[in-house]
Amino acid sequence: MLLPLTVTVLLLCAALLAWAVWFAVRDRAVVLRQLWGASVVEAALLVQIAVAGVLAAQGRHAADGVTFWGYQVTALMILPFAALWAFAERTRWSSVVLAVAAATVMFLEYRMLQIWAVA
Amino acid sequence: MSATAGASAPAPTSQGFGRVLVLVYAVFAVAATARAGVQLIRDWHEAPLAYALSAFAAAVYVVATVSLARRGRGSRTVAWTAVTVELVGVLAVGAFSFFRPDLFPEATVWSHLGEGYGYVPLVLPFVGLWWLRHTRPQPRS
Repeated sequence: MLLPLTVTVLLLCAALLAWAVWFAVRDRAVVLRQLWGASVVEAALLVQIAVAGVLAAQGRHAADGVTFWGYQVTALMILPFAALWAFAERTRWSSVVLAVAAATVMFLEYRMLQIWAVA
Repeated sequence: MSATAGASAPAPTSQGFGRVLVLVYAVFAVAATARAGVQLIRDWHEAPLAYALSAFAAAVYVVATVSLARRGRGSRTVAWTAVTVELVGVLAVGAFSFFRPDLFPEATVWSHLGEGYGYVPLVLPFVGLWWLRHTRPQPRS
């Protein structure tokens, strides 16, 4: 159950990353519609947290629970922070900020996948 | 507009490319702090030196993030110091982790020159120093 969700989050992040990189290449700043895209990723992350919580309650923990939940919470915080940080800058660099944030969430998801697979 | 930098204008070090740099520093500040926190609370006795260095690295990243995001001459000095310490730290810990692996049974952010983080910890201080030099205040003529 967690694997398809994680893959979904990864694909959504990849789409957001590609969108942001495209904007950076075209010398455009982040637009509001991209933040809606980021909130779709956030929604998927919340579903992932809920499912992981249910699995943990059933006794199916990740190999390293503390690290797993650390990654989970960090992943949830990155995009909102990056969105605020990016929107204060109205140049192409705001698009790079969004791209870096999306890539970071992808890295965290990949690490979570590793930790969970060990369990 | 850009010529009249008022008090409310963002710091030059956090504008343009600096936005990206501060974000990357912030990510490393959070990652290193979380990692050091877990290590110090849960398994301090396994590798005191490595974990103390993790905590030190975390502090350096936090200071670098804040000082790069803020404006003013004081913040710039702090940023120079923090990024220089970061460079020395990653090179020294990186070298020691190769030659004296017995001292580092558990990984830190800076072990093996930041291998576990895609060598970003090795590249970051060089970029930081370049950026501080690039954005240094120009003397008015």
